[in-house]
Amino acid sequence: MMNRREFFGKTAGALAAVSVLSSAKNTFPVPPSDQINLGIIGPGSRGQSLMRAFLRVPGVRFAALCDVYEPRFAQARKITGEETPIYKDYRLLLDAKNLDAIVVSTPLSFHEEHVTASLESGRHVYGEKDMAKTVASCDHVYQAVKRNGKHYQLGTQYHYAPWFVEALQRIRAGKLGEITQIYAYWHRNNNWRRPVPDPKDKALERLINWRLYREFSGGLLAELGTHQILFALEVLGTLPESVIGTGGIDYWKDGREVPDNVQVVYRFPGGKILFFSSITTNRFEGMKICVYGTGGTIVLTEARGTAYYEPATKNSSVPEKLIVEHGIVTTASFRAEVPYTGPGETIRVPEDKNGSPDFLACQSFIDCVRNNRHPGADELSGWKSGVSVALGNQAIDSGEKVVFAEHAKLPG
Amino acid sequence: MFYRSHPAMGTIFTICLYAVDRHQADADFEIAFEDIDRLDSTLSNYRPESELSRINRTAAREPVTTDPEVFDFIQRSMDYSHRSNGAFDITVGPLMRAWGFFRGQGHYPSPTELANARTSVGWQHVALDPTLRTVRFEVPGMELDPGGIGKGFAVDSVADLLRANGVTSALIDAGSSSIYALGAPPHEQGWKVQIPRPEDRTKSISTVFLRDLSLSTSGNYEKFFWLNGKLYCHIMDPRTGEPVQGVLQTTVITPRAVDSDALSTAMFVMGPVSGVKLLKTVTGASGLWVLGNLKATHIVEWHWPVNVSGTAYASGDMHRSIPRHFEADRSKPRGGNI
Repeated sequence: MMNRREFFGKTAGALAAVSVLSSAKNTFPVPPSDQINLGIIGPGSRGQSLMRAFLRVPGVRFAALCDVYEPRFAQARKITGEETPIYKDYRLLLDAKNLDAIVVSTPLSFHEEHVTASLESGRHVYGEKDMAKTVASCDHVYQAVKRNGKHYQLGTQYHYAPWFVEALQRIRAGKLGEITQIYAYWHRNNNWRRPVPDPKDKALERLINWRLYREFSGGLLAELGTHQILFALEVLGTLPESVIGTGGIDYWKDGREVPDNVQVVYRFPGGKILFFSSITTNRFEGMKICVYGTGGTIVLTEARGTAYYEPATKNSSVPEKLIVEHGIVTTASFRAEVPYTGPGETIRVPEDKNGSPDFLACQSFIDCVRNNRHPGADELSGWKSGVSVALGNQAIDSGEKVVFAEHAKLPG
Repeated sequence: MFYRSHPAMGTIFTICLYAVDRHQADADFEIAFEDIDRLDSTLSNYRPESELSRINRTAAREPVTTDPEVFDFIQRSMDYSHRSNGAFDITVGPLMRAWGFFRGQGHYPSPTELANARTSVGWQHVALDPTLRTVRFEVPGMELDPGGIGKGFAVDSVADLLRANGVTSALIDAGSSSIYALGAPPHEQGWKVQIPRPEDRTKSISTVFLRDLSLSTSGNYEKFFWLNGKLYCHIMDPRTGEPVQGVLQTTVITPRAVDSDALSTAMFVMGPVSGVKLLKTVTGASGLWVLGNLKATHIVEWHWPVNVSGTAYASGDMHRSIPRHFEADRSKPRGGNI
C-alpha cells in the first residue's frame, strides 16, 4: 500500500520537471504596491475556506496554488475566479517571484517542512494550526521564524473572534476574579471523516482523511483542541507544568489510527487546571470554553460569549449573641447544591469589530504583511500551543503524566 | 433511496438520493450539507458574523471587497433586479422590517416608517465594481436580503457538488420552495413534484416530473396578516413599497435553481402580463400563477409542461385562464427534459 509520503513523493517526482502545470500563463501584471499576492500550499477543505476569507480583504490575490491532489486545482480556481497558476511541487511554487506571502494548510506532519521552506524563501507565512506535530518540529519552526525575520501567523481564527478578544480583556481586567479552572469541549456527533470519491483507493483515503492517520495527524487534540488550548494559555499566561490524558478508538472502529475521543487535564502553576474533552458521538456541548473564576464564569462558543457573575454574598447581620444564646432550631430539610447561572450577560461586540473569525484572522495577517506589524497569534503562540498539544498527545498515548520541563524549552 | 434533512437558511433542506450503499450516501450527504452550512454562514442576514452582514454593515461607509462567489451572488441578484425593472430586489430588507416581516408575522407600518424604509430600498443604489469585486451602497440604511434567491443559489451549488461526486439521481429541496431534480429516480421519467392549491395545500393543481430542472414556488401564505378584510403578505413590491395584492402563488421551472428562485418572486410581483416578457428571456423557463383571492381564483400558465386542467384542482372554484397572447408562444421549443 502506498503511504502518503510515497504518494506525495511519487507525484512530486513525476511532475518535478513541469514547473507550471497550467496551460494558462501567469499574466498578472507586476503587482502594485498595495496588492498582496498569496500562494497557497494545500487548498483542501480548510485551505479553501481560508482562500475565500483572504479574497474578502481588499487588494489580495491568489497567484499560485499547490496541491498533490488534482481535483483541488479546479475547486480552488473556482474560488479565485481565474486561471490561477498551479503547481504539484511546493518548491516550484516557492520559486515563483511574485509571491508576497504563503498560506500553508497542509496536513500537520508537513507543517514544519512547508512553513520553514516558505520562510526560507523570504515570504511571510500564514500557517494553519497547529504549528507542527512534535516538540522538536515546533522548535524548528520557531527558530526559522526568528532566523528569517518574517511574520508568522498561526491559523487560529478564534484568537481574532471579537467575543474571544473581549472575554480575554474582561478576564485580564479581573472581572472574573482569580481564574482557577478552564473546561473546554469540542464535541461532535459524526465520524470526522471526509468523503473519498473511491473508498477502495487506500492511498486516496489516507490523502483525504489524513486527520485519521497517525503518520500525518495529531488527532482531535491537535485539530480541534489547539483553539481552546491557545486561549487557555493566554488566560493563564504561562505554559502548563504537566498533563495527563486518556483516549481511544472506542466507537468508530473503521481503520482509523487516532482516538475518536480524548480527555486531557493540564495542570498549571498554582494548581490551575485546563480540562479538554473531544468526543465524536454526542454534540450536546459543541465547541465551548468555560472559564471559571472566583468572581464568575465566561462561556465562549463558536458564535458568542456570555458572562455569568457570581452573586455577591453579603455578611450576615445576625448577631452572634442571638445564635449563641437562643441556639438554632432543627428541622427536616434538603437543599441540593444549585448551580448559579442566572440569565448571563451576552458579551457585546462593537459593530465595527464584528465579522467571521476567519475573515478577521486573514485581514489581520494581511495588515501585518502590508504594514509590517507583528501578528497577534505569532510564533510564540504557535510554539506554546504546539508543544502543549504534542505533550498532551504523548500523555494520551503513554497513559502517564508528562512533565513539561522535561520535554519542552523555548529555543533561544 | 437515502434521505436526510438539515436545518439551514431559516428552513429545512432535504436531500433524497440514490447511492450504492449507506456509506456512499453518508459521504454524499456530508458534502452537500457542509456546503449548505457554508453558504448559510456566508449569506445569512440574521448572523452578524456572516459575509453578507459584514457587507450590510460596511458598504454604506466604504466599498467592501468580497470573494468571487459572494460577488457573483450579488451580481446575479442585481441582474435580476435590472431585468425585472426592480420587481425583484434584494435591497427590500428595510421594507420587510417596516412591515414587521423580518422576525414576525407583520403589521401595518406608519407612514413615517414606510417613507423611511423606502429611502433605503433600491437596487439602483448598489454600486458594483467587478474589477475590484467591491460592493457599495450609495444610500445609507441599505441592506441586502438574500431571501428571494439565496436558497436557489445554495441548491445549485449542492447540485453541482453532488454531480461532481458522481451522484446521478437526487432531489434537493430547500424548504419545499426551491427544488432541484438531479436526474430521475430509477425507471422513472423524473422526480414528481406537486404544486398545491394555495388555499388548501393538501390538494394539488398540477403535478410535474422534473429531470435536471429546478422548480421554485412563492406564496402569500408563508407570512401574512389580515387588516380590514384584506390580506397583506410578506412579498413586497419594492416599487410601491407595499405587499403584492391579487396573487396567491407563483411557480417557475428553469434549469438552474438560482433562476427559478429569483423568478418565482419576480413573477409574483410582476404578474403574468409583464412576467412572461421576462420568462421569455430565460432558456427553458415556464411559469404558473394562481391569481385572485381565496374566494375566486384563476390560474395562468406559460409553457407549463402539463395540462393544468388535468389535475386535482378542477372540482374547486378555480378555472383555467390562458390569455390568447400566451398561447402564441406555446409552439416555441422548450429547454430541459421534462
